[in-house]
Amino acid sequence: MTVLRSILAACALAAVLAGCGPRPVDDGRTEVRWMVPVRWDRPFIEDFVRRFEADHPDIRVKVLWVPATQYQTKFKTLAAAGQAPDLVECGDVWIAYMLSFMYDVTELVERDRAEIGLDDFFPEVLSACQHEGRYYFLAAGMNVSLLYYNKSLFDRAGVAYPTDQWTWDDYIAAGNKIMELPDAGRGGVWGGDVETGWWGEWLIFVRQAGGTIFNEDLTRCVLDSPEAIAGLAMYHDRIFKHGFAPAPGYGPDNQFASGKIGMWYGGHTEKWKTYNAIPGLDWDVQVLPIGPNGREGGEIAIRAYGITRTSRNPEAAWTLMKYMVAPEHIRENVQRGGLSVRRSVAEEFLRRTDGQTRPHNMAAVYQQIRYALPLPRSTDYIELSLNIIQPEIDRMIRGDLTPEQAAANATRAANRFLDVVGSRRHLGDAKP
Amino acid sequence: MKLHRERLREGIWFFLMAGPALLGFLFLVLGPMLYSFYLSFTSYNVVDPPRWVGAENYLYLIQDDPAFWPSVKVTLIYAGVQIPLSLMIALGIALLLNNQVKALGAFRTIFYLPSLLPATASVVIWIWIFHPNYGLLNELLSKFGIAGPAWLNSTTWALPALIIMTLWSFGGAMIVFLAGLQGVPRGLYEAASIDGANAWHRFRHVTIPILSPVIFFNLVMGVIGAMKVFDQAYVFGAAMDKVPGGPARATLFYVLHLFQTAFNYFHMGLASAMAWMLFAVIALLTWLNFRLGRKWVHH
Repeated sequence: MTVLRSILAACALAAVLAGCGPRPVDDGRTEVRWMVPVRWDRPFIEDFVRRFEADHPDIRVKVLWVPATQYQTKFKTLAAAGQAPDLVECGDVWIAYMLSFMYDVTELVERDRAEIGLDDFFPEVLSACQHEGRYYFLAAGMNVSLLYYNKSLFDRAGVAYPTDQWTWDDYIAAGNKIMELPDAGRGGVWGGDVETGWWGEWLIFVRQAGGTIFNEDLTRCVLDSPEAIAGLAMYHDRIFKHGFAPAPGYGPDNQFASGKIGMWYGGHTEKWKTYNAIPGLDWDVQVLPIGPNGREGGEIAIRAYGITRTSRNPEAAWTLMKYMVAPEHIRENVQRGGLSVRRSVAEEFLRRTDGQTRPHNMAAVYQQIRYALPLPRSTDYIELSLNIIQPEIDRMIRGDLTPEQAAANATRAANRFLDVVGSRRHLGDAKP
Repeated sequence: MKLHRERLREGIWFFLMAGPALLGFLFLVLGPMLYSFYLSFTSYNVVDPPRWVGAENYLYLIQDDPAFWPSVKVTLIYAGVQIPLSLMIALGIALLLNNQVKALGAFRTIFYLPSLLPATASVVIWIWIFHPNYGLLNELLSKFGIAGPAWLNSTTWALPALIIMTLWSFGGAMIVFLAGLQGVPRGLYEAASIDGANAWHRFRHVTIPILSPVIFFNLVMGVIGAMKVFDQAYVFGAAMDKVPGGPARATLFYVLHLFQTAFNYFHMGLASAMAWMLFAVIALLTWLNFRLGRKWVHH
């Protein structure tokens, strides 16, 4: 029995020790739990938090670092466990997914309208932060689809730089002209490149051709419309008809950053830092060429912040949110190579153009915003795009399917998914 | 009375010693398994309560899910090609390493080393080997006038490339074969030689029968492993095409599809149905292996 008693005593001790974990420090400050994806800007975030806490001694910010690729999974599991953070980051593609977890900040926005300087934000950005006229997020950064081009390759090929009047035909002609260079082709330079694995590029072509993925109420996939197929054909023909873009895998590593790609359709402003760090990469941007359906079709994507509806300290979280979108912090973001969501900061930097900082044509960036479209606000969008539609598109650009076949396959599978599994809770149905 | 007390004491000790493991099994294995069986008949997204949908998940997977059958096909092709090849390579290398040669220990270590590499590191190395423009493999093929494909970016060649890559890690099976080979009595080889058996006859009629339980073990483990391939495929697809399982589902293994269904898109009901189907298939294949093993395994 002595042995038995010893074992029971050991178990009791283990149970007591298990309860001796670190306790939260109670220093009288209100805690805001902010979930942040780990990225290159981590040192800036840490510095930002230090400055915020110095300016707001009554608030303590607890940053929950999460691998960027696991952000949504972590957020959803925390929310399911009743442990959602107070403040979260949200790209516009995730808005539909996150909306039911978010706090309606409209009253706070209206109350502090002057302090925030709400009218200073680009209207397109504000629109992306709302649902049915109610605010759930405030944006601190954004990306806009543009035409990136390599000036050195244009000069070598004797092609005039893109203008804001360019059409798809001009884009194709420039691509073909670059392919006349002696080092063009596999292992060498290309007129353009093809973005694979996600919607980043093909959706622009579909929209510029007048097509779309979903019908208006987001309940059916309509990628098999003639307009959408025309857009997919443009995406496809650059490889198989015009021949100025490499088939997947045969292009240079690092794509546009390699200096071997003449034009990059869509691109991402996050890459600017990389491009500017490459010696000799002489690049600039222009608004997207005009498609058969006009200028509209590029994507506008925002990086926004919102308060969760289970937040225990929404006022403190709101204070942190306002601090993030204050002009001085938006300015810092632009200095690090981001885009301004505020008109005043954008104009300030446009005036400051020194002829050295790339892209030189910053005016095109803010011009493009007017023609940019947000992504469909459907809770099924990401799964449908990446898991159901994308494999058919990937087969298409590997020559296994025609654009018509890819569109038909993708539409059939997507609609079956919507019928059976899709939550069919598009933004209009979500009940925050 | 004394016997009864002893049995009681034995029972107490049994539960005391086995208790933690039993509790762990009940609450951390059997409980979640049964719950996932229930979930497989529901629509459940983690946040909202499960909603009963009957057999709809199973029907959707079999009839409508565009990724289900491709993922089954990829897994079966992989199992059908990779298992025999890896067993043959592992056995061949084990036979070589069973000879008494100089620096035997060093050779055994060298051949076993790739098995110790984490899948991620291994994939990164192989991505460079398979690079279409600068890769070692296409460079080698070009010496014979063959224009190599864009291996990892090709819907045709991505799976063969992944199979070639996984063959590299034959070390685990090789060690088991080597242990088995060292248990083959020398006397049997000598007797066979006296009877006029050449090297092939000795291998076919002495080594293989005596090694058959080891081959069987490696086969069963290989089949179970092939049904559960995940990490190499995850890194492979993500590195090449941004979407694990790509390009165009060419490397979408069953478990990878299950993972994406559960943890990317939170269709826990669907994912549970997939898990139970996989469980049934693995159980069936293992049972089949044991049934067929009776015909060729010499215990």
